[in-house]
Amino acid sequence: MALRRAGAVARSHGIPTTPTRGILTRAAPPRPRGPLPRTPWTTRGPPPEELARVVERRPVREQVELDTITYAGRQHYVPGLARPRFPPWDRGWHDPWHSPGPRYEEMPLYKERGCYICHQGVRMLEGVRQAQWLTKTKLVEGLPPPVLSIIANPAHQLEEHEEGVKRAISHARFWDTTEVAPRREHYCPVLFEDLIHLCRLMSVKYPFLTRRMLARNYKISATWERESILLQVRGLNGILMNSVSPIPPVASKEEILATEGHVLETFYPISPTIDLQEVNVYQELNDTGFRDGYPYSHPHTLFFLESANIRPKRFRPEQLRAKMLMFAFGNALAKAKVLYGNDPKVLEQPVVVQSIGTDGQLFQFMVFQLNTTDLVSSDGIKNLVWIDADQNLYEKAQCIPEVKKRVVTKPAGIYGFQPDTFKKFLALYLHGTV
Amino acid sequence: MKKTGGRDHTGRIRVRGIGGGHKRRYRMIDFQRLRYEEGAPRQPFTEKVINVRYDPCRSADIALVAGGNRKRWIIATENMQPGDIIKNSSHIGRMAVSANEGDAYPLGALPVGTLICNLESHPGKGAQYIRAAGTCGVLLRKVNGTAIVQLPSKRHMQVLETCVATVGRVSNVDHNKRVIGKAGRNRWLGKRPHTGLWHRKGGWAGRKIKPLPPMKSYVNLPRVSAQE
Repeated sequence: MALRRAGAVARSHGIPTTPTRGILTRAAPPRPRGPLPRTPWTTRGPPPEELARVVERRPVREQVELDTITYAGRQHYVPGLARPRFPPWDRGWHDPWHSPGPRYEEMPLYKERGCYICHQGVRMLEGVRQAQWLTKTKLVEGLPPPVLSIIANPAHQLEEHEEGVKRAISHARFWDTTEVAPRREHYCPVLFEDLIHLCRLMSVKYPFLTRRMLARNYKISATWERESILLQVRGLNGILMNSVSPIPPVASKEEILATEGHVLETFYPISPTIDLQEVNVYQELNDTGFRDGYPYSHPHTLFFLESANIRPKRFRPEQLRAKMLMFAFGNALAKAKVLYGNDPKVLEQPVVVQSIGTDGQLFQFMVFQLNTTDLVSSDGIKNLVWIDADQNLYEKAQCIPEVKKRVVTKPAGIYGFQPDTFKKFLALYLHGTV
Repeated sequence: MKKTGGRDHTGRIRVRGIGGGHKRRYRMIDFQRLRYEEGAPRQPFTEKVINVRYDPCRSADIALVAGGNRKRWIIATENMQPGDIIKNSSHIGRMAVSANEGDAYPLGALPVGTLICNLESHPGKGAQYIRAAGTCGVLLRKVNGTAIVQLPSKRHMQVLETCVATVGRVSNVDHNKRVIGKAGRNRWLGKRPHTGLWHRKGGWAGRKIKPLPPMKSYVNLPRVSAQE
């Protein structure tokens, strides 16, 4: 009653009352009615006429700004006064951590022509096909005949290697940890070290095997041109095993000549340089990563200890193989340019580099033979690569026994051990010496 | 993506009923299908679908496409599969093209009656219409350099015939058939409950028969410059 009277009083005094029906939900101003704007405002900003108007207005605005009163003297925001604009603060001395470096265009190594770089972080979308096109390589499935003959020959086998390999796997997966199960980053290098150790036992039989050296954290750079695209393999890669003497060529002269007829596969809508990093600041350099006169100068095998994730959209085995091919090629090319000079030509003595990739369980074997450094055109002699993909060393390493209804159904241990995988590993190790 | 909770830049509630929900990661969608690669000639180009996946920020699925040296996310159409080749073209020929689903063409190049989606209101602006899951528009007629499209709301819209649209229907067609099941699932989606206050039913309840709103025109007709 009182409320109603108050309303009546207000009405009689002429104070406008706003009728509020329901709940006020939207605090937004009403949407503009009327015709739609005639100018097409695109996502890139105002249309040219509008921009031109802004540009015309600018000199007047600058003049006005001379007289604007800012709240700089008050040292706090004051509504109605303009925002002060200060010159960018200068530290007064050069701090390398907090200073923008020179622009790319002002760097001494800046070049107009872009270069596509393959480095260790590159994940190539099309995998081996793409790497094949970039390196002008013909793919052969399986391992080459010289390696297969080493596998087949029982004289080149290690005695009791099965127990040794099982011990190596157990060491990596079960024993070398205080946790329940070691992570992949931990067990993968341990397994690699153990397998290499087993291979080194063969040096009793073949003393030339002692003339090997493992190199980690060395940096490679190799530059080549492929159909008007400048390409580089650059930076850190896997662990390289060097040897004193090079590996003899795997394919014969006839096989090399037969690659002329091979046609490289293309994947049209996608460019072959997709996912490679394009840079304008670079140096055209060919460097094996070792100084002149280094006694173990010939690259023998590259080892990649990387995850090969089975999940799509991640770094899959396909991408690992592509990376192995690119870096094996890079090492071979850098070595070939040291041996035979920078001129592109068909090599008399092809350079062979092997590559093994593993994630601690799945092994990828690769033998790459560089036949030619003339890579500009897609015709002529191609390089050769033999890939033996996706070889499991074991199916599963059960760290915790599987218990169902208080009965151990699956005790801890290694399951599905495949001794052939280690034989291939050993054969690639012996290749070139035996 | 940062959640707004329905607040605007001043901190006031602008849209009520929004807040909470699962965290979402934003994938930058390229709504301008006809975006040429930098340095590439301005010609029709093709792209390959790499994968089609769920996107938390919208009801439709998104597709990763690669072409040239570039990869980008686009809104997927109904039957898009990994490995498909899709085409983007700006050419308006004398004859209407027979377009496959997933291709992007200007409206002037398409035959009348085509189902389209991802329509832009101004040429080169980027698609802003018909992007929700399972929706499609119909190209009704082409008049004098403009095209008239029926939106999913049955409203008609007139745009220039150079506006680019994707052929086909947006993916995730069964989006409207899913069962929320419980109030909590709506909270996962970032929707807050309605107020429980009782309201008397007023004029808003019951069936309404409204005439269709007039045609929305985004065409700048040439001004009459005879008097000047």
